[in-house]
This record gives sequence, C-alpha cells and structure tokens, in this order.
Amino acid sequence: MATLESLGTVLSADVLVVGGGIAGLTAAISIKEASPDVAVLVVDKCAPGFGGKANKGGGNLAFLAPEDSLEDMLAFRVQKVGCYLEDQELLRDFLSGTYGVLQRIESWGCTVFHKPDGSYVYVRYAENMPWRMALCEQDITESMLRHARKNKVKFVDHVSIVDLVKDGDRAAGAVGFSVIDGAFYTIKAKAVILANGNQNYKLMRRWASGRGDGIAAAYRAGAEMRNAEFGSFINWVFADTKEVCQGAENVLYNAKGENISRAVRPVIEADLASKEVVAWYKAMVAGDGPVYANMPENAIAQASHKAFHSDGVAVRPVTTRFWTLTIKKAMAGSKNPGPMQEVIPGFIGEGSPVRVDHQMATTLPGLYAVGDVAAAGSAWAGAVPAPPGRMRGGGMMGAMWMAMRGGPAAAAYVAGAGEPAVDAAQVEALKERIFAPLQVAGGVEPPEMIRAIQDIMQPVGNTIYKSEERLSAALDKVLALKAELPRLHAKDWHYLAACNEAGAMVGSAEQFFRTSLVRKESRGWHIREDYAERDDANWLKWIIAKDVDGEMVVSTEDVPVDRYPLKP
Amino acid sequence: MNTIKIDLECCEGCRNCFDACFVNVFRWDGEKGQPIVAYPEDCVECNKCELSCPDSCIEVIPDYEGNYWPPVL
Repeated sequence: MATLESLGTVLSADVLVVGGGIAGLTAAISIKEASPDVAVLVVDKCAPGFGGKANKGGGNLAFLAPEDSLEDMLAFRVQKVGCYLEDQELLRDFLSGTYGVLQRIESWGCTVFHKPDGSYVYVRYAENMPWRMALCEQDITESMLRHARKNKVKFVDHVSIVDLVKDGDRAAGAVGFSVIDGAFYTIKAKAVILANGNQNYKLMRRWASGRGDGIAAAYRAGAEMRNAEFGSFINWVFADTKEVCQGAENVLYNAKGENISRAVRPVIEADLASKEVVAWYKAMVAGDGPVYANMPENAIAQASHKAFHSDGVAVRPVTTRFWTLTIKKAMAGSKNPGPMQEVIPGFIGEGSPVRVDHQMATTLPGLYAVGDVAAAGSAWAGAVPAPPGRMRGGGMMGAMWMAMRGGPAAAAYVAGAGEPAVDAAQVEALKERIFAPLQVAGGVEPPEMIRAIQDIMQPVGNTIYKSEERLSAALDKVLALKAELPRLHAKDWHYLAACNEAGAMVGSAEQFFRTSLVRKESRGWHIREDYAERDDANWLKWIIAKDVDGEMVVSTEDVPVDRYPLKP
Repeated sequence: MNTIKIDLECCEGCRNCFDACFVNVFRWDGEKGQPIVAYPEDCVECNKCELSCPDSCIEVIPDYEGNYWPPVL
C-alpha cells in the first residue's frame, strides 16, 4: 500500500493558504500578527506576490472616511445595487472596516497616498458616488510579500493546488503538482484558506487571472456555492484591441447616431450595470449596430486618468509606468483614431460563489475562503457580480477585508483543532485523477476545450440577457463539454494545469446556468427576458449549489430580511 | 499570438521576468541562467515581464488582431 511519502513530497503547516495574491498574502500576514506561532504556508501556481489581479489594475481601494455616512452608503447599496440580496450584517461590517484596512496595510509597508493634512487622497468617478477610492501603488503585493517573509510566512511557488484532502468532513490539507517538473505535493494542514481567485474563463486579457481552481476544489470537496448566477461581469472593451474602455457605459451610441445608454443611465453612474448591455444587445439584434463610445463625452475616462496615473493627485511611478506602456501599445494597435470608438461587452465573469459565513468559513469545517474566490459567495454585494460588486475599488478592498477577518478566524480554529489524519489511499486516488490527462492519447487539448467554454460564456444572450430557451441551450452545450472532460489530454505539466483549469471552467459554467435557470425573476445584474420584473414575494432567496454524489443539486434559502434593518 | 522578444546578450539572469509572469509563459534555463519563452500562446500582454527587466531586454508585442475572441452577440 502506498504511503504519503511514496506518492510525492509531503509538507505540513498549521494553515495552508492557496494563492499568493492580495487576499492570500493579507490572510497570511493577519494570521502571523494574531498568532505568531501558527505555521503558515502560502502556495502559488506562479510566484507569490506577482499573481492575481492587484498588481495589474488601477490601485483603487474603496473606502468610507470617518466623516462619511455608513447608513447612507448601506441604503444606497441595498436599495439601488444589491437589491436586498445582501447579507446586510456582513456588508455593514465590511464597509465600516474599510478605513481601518487602509491604516493596517500602511503599517505593512504598502504605499497609500495622503494629503498634507493626513487624510487619504481619494477619487470619486461620479458626483453621486457615496464612497471614495483611495490610491495605492501597484507594487502593493510585492510590499506585502516582503512583510510576510519578515513575519516568517513560508512560501512554495509554481505549484498548482488541485484538490482538498479531507479527514471525514473536515479539510485536512490539499494536493497539487509542480507546473515546472510535475512533482506531486501533499500538504497536510489543520486549516486551509482558499485565496486563489475567481472564474474569468481565461477570456479577458491582461489582468484577469482567475481560472476557478479554488472554486472547483471546494465544490468537489462538498462545500456549498451561493450566488453563482451572478458570475457574468463584463467590461466595455474596444472592438479592435479588447483593452477596457473605461466609462463607455455612459456614452453608447448606435450606428444611427442615437444615444442608447442615456435611457437606462440618465445620470453618470460610478460603475457598470447589465442594463446597458441589454441596450447594446437590443440595438445589435435590431440591426442598429455596431455600437460606439463617444469618447469626448466620456467623463469617466477623464476621471480614470486621475485614478490610474500620477498627476497632481498622487505620484505613483510604478502604476504610471504600467499604464503608460499598456496604453501606448493599445493606441498603436488601435485602428480608429476618431472620437467614436466601436466597443463590445467583453466578458470577464468574476464567478466567485464559494459560500462563506461572517468568519469566512465555508460550509466545510477547516476550509476558509477569502478574496475573489468567495466574493459573491459571502453575499456582501447582493445581486451583482462581485468583485467589484458595482463598487469600483471594491475588489482589492474586499479581498483585504475578508482576509483580515478570515486569517485570524482560521488561526483560532487551528488552536482548538487536533492534527487531522491524511489518508494515503485518498491521496493516491486524487493523484491518479489529477495526472490522468497525461495518459490520454488522441484526446482533446485544453485550449480547444477552453475556447469552447468561452464560446458559450461570451455571447450576451447566454449570460447577461437571459431566457429559459437560451440558458437551457447553453447548459446543454456545457454538459456536452462536461462529458468530454475525461478525454482531456495534457502534453506536459503546464498543460496539465490547463486541463484542471478547463475542468474548473466547465464546473463554473454549469453552476452559472443551472442557478440562472432557477431564478425566475430579474434582480440586479440577473436580467431575464422572460421574467422581466423583480419578484420580492418569491425571490428574496439565495440560490445554493452543491455536489451530492456527483450531481449538482440546486436549492434555495430565504434571505433573512426580517432580521435586517433595510426591507423592500 | 503575442511575441515576447528577449535580447539574451543583454540579459543578466535576474529571474524577475520569470517571477513576474502570472500565467507561466517562461521556463528557466538553469544552465545558462536565462529565461526561455516556453508558452507564448498564454501571454495576455500584461507587460509585467517587460516592466520588471532592469536592463530593458524584453519586449512584449501584442497580437491584438490574431488573439482569439468569441462571438459577442
């Protein structure tokens, strides 16, 4: 019989953190600050401190200053954005914690900018935006990495964690392999924190790194998913370069020169909504396309300049170098220098349904999830894709806040938990499953499978403007791909990781379509052509998806609005 | 597919590009102490390798037209 050691390298830690981006590093540091003796190991598929999205974006951190009204912000969010599908208690905790997060990361050596009077430099995209965005430098995760190392957090790089190991119902560690040399790893841990991002279906370029590995691992281990139907975020992108066109949502014109977004966005809003995607869809179906962004009218594009670059607001050399180079290349690749730029809704997804409670504990004992992997599953954002949850700057801030809550919670769990047993037979079976694509001859290559999934997720009629007919047809296609998964072939370790990602994408797509079919109403980002109205009588419910004996079982659960201060 | 041009004459082997890539485009040639562009098909033009190179030996040339994008409607 195999022993763990005969199967590969065996490592152990009190807490295993999967993913070394902003959420994982924040969780690791938070554990060490709360409990210095807890052994923390961070494992990343690439290099800790460089993965994830935080070092490829605008460096905007949503927050409320002490003089801002928490009650006004809560009312705005619940009534106008999340449409009563929020966990209002968690949302309150989150929003009231944002200012403290800024102070805390500064103590770790991260750069956040201040005015001469000591208050935070901030940007607001729109006058009616009831939150602020502080500005940080884009090397935020590198600063965190240095601080984590100083605090004796251990790291393993270029190892893809694929599955959780269980002792009964409890998480007992994880298994994975080196993408460089194929070495198999078993990591024993008293608690595991998933911090490896959400599901972007490898479509949006430049920053969207989430392939849903953590979602898939949690799902296979039996953890519940929540709000999977809200995993269809988009950004408006230039049709030629697919680079994001900030602010296009407010200034969309059809080919006849008619403004199509003003009817659905009478005032400038601070973030995207699916309603203008529906306006785009209708224009295209009516033959009034293509659709253009009128750049001279684009107020958010002007404000973005402040938010992304160094200027009088904040001097950010790292961020400025990044954006200057990115924009220079995109401009060179642009075919049309004119004011009217053709744009399309570029699918990002941000499926993030791992269900967590107020301590970031999943439904599986010993398994925690922080950041993008559980942003929608935590329910802070309600009926919208999270992050950003229609709150620009909410992604990074949400990740850090969740991690500061979840890291110490995992450490407290570990203090009371015994050493879990890790069964070699279970690990051996997982290893066999994970490495199986290396043995498949003449099968499906992962890029082919991933392209097929992208072809299902990107069409707006499938994922944004939903209907029974289109959702059912899309689900059928996903299930056909699911049946093909055993035929995935990996020519090397790099592509073995891609096989795991392809499987995760198929799983996320199945969750998305099954839950979207169940919600027979329109609410927030979930817009149904066939159920156009919000239905508070029947649908103040969360939709839960869970694996039961290999089948995806979908159920509903009442949102406890009676307990919350804001009611419909 | 994007092109990642590395001037290996200029490369001093600091490994910054290898660490900076979040989609594992590079492999490391341990003997030569230099990067190998192993999986350019996975490059998503984040430009982090180019930005991380202290001697400006790397250039990422995006293939905006050639990179696949599915039907949108």
